[in-house]
Amino acid sequence: MGREKEKEKPSEKALNLLRSRLADPNFIFKPLSDSPDSNYSKLKFIISTSVTEACNNSILLLGPRGSGKVAVLELVLSDLLQQYPDVISVIRLNGLLHSDDNCALKEIARQLCMEHQLLFSKVASFDDNSQFMIAMLRECGLAHKTIIFVLDEFDFFAQGKQRLLYSLLDAMQSVNSQSVVIGVSCRLDVDQLLEKRVRSRFSHRKLLFLSPSKEDTERFMEHILSLPVDSSIPQNYTAEFNGRLKKIISDERFKELITTYLSFNFTIGHLVRFQAVSYMDLDVGFLSLENFKTALSSNQRQSKLECIRDCSILELYMLVCMKRLEVKEQNSYNFFSVMTEYKSIHDSSQTSDNYAANVCLRAFEHLLQRQLISFIDNKGHNQSVEFRPVKLLISSAELHQGLKSSHQCPPVTMLRAARTHLENPSAFWLLTPQHLYSVMH
Amino acid sequence: MVVLLQGRPVLLSRKDSGHSYSSVKRCERPSDFVNYLREALEGVISNLKGNSGKSNSKMSGRPDGTMVYLVFDNLERVRDWDKSSTILPFLFNLYDILKMPEVGLIFISNTSPDTYYLNVGYVEPVPLYFPNYTEDDLRHIFMVNQANRKLYAAFLDVVLRPFCRVTRRVDELAAALSSLFEKYCEPLSDKQVVPNEEMKRKLFSQIRPHIASALNATFHVQSQPLLRAETNKETKKTNSSRMSGYLEDSDKIDFHMSTSAKYLLISAFLASRNPATLDASLFDSTGVSDSRKRKRKASEKSMEQKEMAEQELLMKGPGTFPLERLLAIFQCITSLAEDSLDEEESHEPTTEGGSRGLMSDVLLQLSSLCNANFIIKGGSCPLEGSTRYRTAVSEDLALKEVANICNDTSSALASSVLVTQIHTLLYRTWQVRVDYISRSCNGVADILARFGRHATLKGSLLVAPLDRVALLVATDQKHWEEGRMAEGRMRAIPHG
Repeated sequence: MGREKEKEKPSEKALNLLRSRLADPNFIFKPLSDSPDSNYSKLKFIISTSVTEACNNSILLLGPRGSGKVAVLELVLSDLLQQYPDVISVIRLNGLLHSDDNCALKEIARQLCMEHQLLFSKVASFDDNSQFMIAMLRECGLAHKTIIFVLDEFDFFAQGKQRLLYSLLDAMQSVNSQSVVIGVSCRLDVDQLLEKRVRSRFSHRKLLFLSPSKEDTERFMEHILSLPVDSSIPQNYTAEFNGRLKKIISDERFKELITTYLSFNFTIGHLVRFQAVSYMDLDVGFLSLENFKTALSSNQRQSKLECIRDCSILELYMLVCMKRLEVKEQNSYNFFSVMTEYKSIHDSSQTSDNYAANVCLRAFEHLLQRQLISFIDNKGHNQSVEFRPVKLLISSAELHQGLKSSHQCPPVTMLRAARTHLENPSAFWLLTPQHLYSVMH
Repeated sequence: MVVLLQGRPVLLSRKDSGHSYSSVKRCERPSDFVNYLREALEGVISNLKGNSGKSNSKMSGRPDGTMVYLVFDNLERVRDWDKSSTILPFLFNLYDILKMPEVGLIFISNTSPDTYYLNVGYVEPVPLYFPNYTEDDLRHIFMVNQANRKLYAAFLDVVLRPFCRVTRRVDELAAALSSLFEKYCEPLSDKQVVPNEEMKRKLFSQIRPHIASALNATFHVQSQPLLRAETNKETKKTNSSRMSGYLEDSDKIDFHMSTSAKYLLISAFLASRNPATLDASLFDSTGVSDSRKRKRKASEKSMEQKEMAEQELLMKGPGTFPLERLLAIFQCITSLAEDSLDEEESHEPTTEGGSRGLMSDVLLQLSSLCNANFIIKGGSCPLEGSTRYRTAVSEDLALKEVANICNDTSSALASSVLVTQIHTLLYRTWQVRVDYISRSCNGVADILARFGRHATLKGSLLVAPLDRVALLVATDQKHWEEGRMAEGRMRAIPHG
């Protein structure tokens, strides 16, 4: 066992360590939570005061996806559970699963039963469950225990009649209870969705989780990717790794890279998924700027372009015919109109790509599968595929780009056919010599 | 660990080490599903880690590499479900809901991630793209497990490039290439031979005419008679007829349908393709009124308009028709087929005993054609309340059916009502003699029959020949004498 550990290269060990860090939300959000001004401290303060002072409270955590709302909440809850054991019980609901009131009350009852070692009956009715919940709230209030309700995807609870929210908040106010309701949502305006009676019972405390500033981002990257000094990895390797990392981070190009990435994926959660670490070359053993560049380009994928590049020549012909039909202002077309256009292209210039209708229909169905084209309405199931009207799901720019970069050199007739109806004359592009050469064999 | 998702009621089943499903739980709601899933996953993970007893979900230990992966294949089908707007975000958020670091989710899909965008957001799964095979990849794939690699390589050099222009899918190419390779190897006596340049050129010139036809064919399963024909081909046929025989057999429709079902198919096609207003003129077998209308020469503009209208009709696709119209056309066609000798058949539906039996048969045939997707059942018209149908058959297929039926006169006669009635009469226990009397000799009987049909009285007793008939008797006699003299040349109609 020891021999195996020695054989394991330090770069592999480092990679494992970094990967485990990136997958652990606790590690990611702890450094951001250290300052007294952070959301972590504020949240902790609110909940602990309501525990110690035996009062009710409600709060909303708002922010885009991946900004760490639930992660910070879990950090706070784990700290408080250690601090006040046996005083706090946590009930977790999710809007995607429990937006229906019956479901939600059943889940609340089930979790309460699990917490307090009671038997849960699956056939209890809605009234039974709600009475049980109110009774539990009262009992816990009398025993000075706090129940914390975590409502994830809060905006789903705010749909419909909001019965659950109302009954929960009403119970909190009327019964002598100690509970905290924490709503977590991605919609920043979720409190506007609440009904008047619910909103009056909800305290307007909101904690906003916003994207970090540039300096914070850099500090964060350095913190996450630097290897700790006191791990099992040899010292000289760690020192060199950290030194190189510092150099990369202070490089201008790296800053540009990160800014580009953050301009459309701006939360910490997305930053963590930036997979430069997985591109680390194990032979070299260190992270380099090229790894980051590869990660950025792999993140900026154009999925439709990839699909077009993979199409066969016949499928490309179908797409070009549909584009021509669109330019001719024929907005609804089906397989037969595409076939007439296809035949007219081949009549005007004799090519070798004239195929029969059944083969073209098969290519057409491939395009439907890849979702490069789709049916205009999904209700026409009583028509066969050849007659249902279709529409193109790619723009002309994507089509031209795809033809240019296609793996198989498209024939000159196709390129000419695609070019004669350019909508934007300034998007003119020249036939490259390689396309001309491809015609010669 | 296998998870099956079937629409709203979600099924969770558990696979034990013996690869059999030990327990199956059915749940209606996502919340129940998540609870069962969590229990099951915790059990599996604790088994994998070798711990005894359930691990406490609150304090799960640090992950140490044991993982359970849930694989969802064909995810693009979920988009067509009714509840897709709730199920898709649920699936994509499942990782966050479960909060178990030992569980990984893998989604396999034919379409790109941007087709799954919905109103509800989710943290996007990490995309991994599998590009389509290039020509070199395909070459490698097809060369695997080949007995004679050099021969197959020579074959692929010739064939792969034109086929790759049509499709690059391995399943479609494999089907086309395998049958073509058999043709390629035909002239070779020794299948293990390594071809030199000259042999390659000869083989190429031999296979070249087949490539074009193979490119235009989609996958089809060879039926038994075709295989038998291939074993016989060494005996006689020349090259060209072999190729045309291949095409002919593949074009032949070898459905096993009864003739009445074929007639029904054709009448559905006619009903779908022609507007209802044309029915009267198309199926009017008298032909008298029509020829008068058609005397006007069509002007050029109206011809153009007619062409455009036809094209539009073709683009719109086959129309819907109610059941009654289908049956009316069916009656017309079958009665026309049986009365090909009798010109002046009226096309009111006859209520003789034979046609009543035909009607129930027709409805059964119609339902079986609907099940086989030759006729599609559409929505019902809100005014009339009856269901409407639509044909799903292409023009080529319908025309081929018509050609088959016309060439196959014996079957046409077999299904006609009159002939079956005659057969039932003949099989009775009496002696029957069948004589042929031509129409030209039988004018009197003809007139009398029509007289009886239109007469209002139940029966009328004639004591003398009618005026109309008198002249005809003489002409009939004359024709009969002539017919007698030509009897030697005429062949009698076979009995029974």
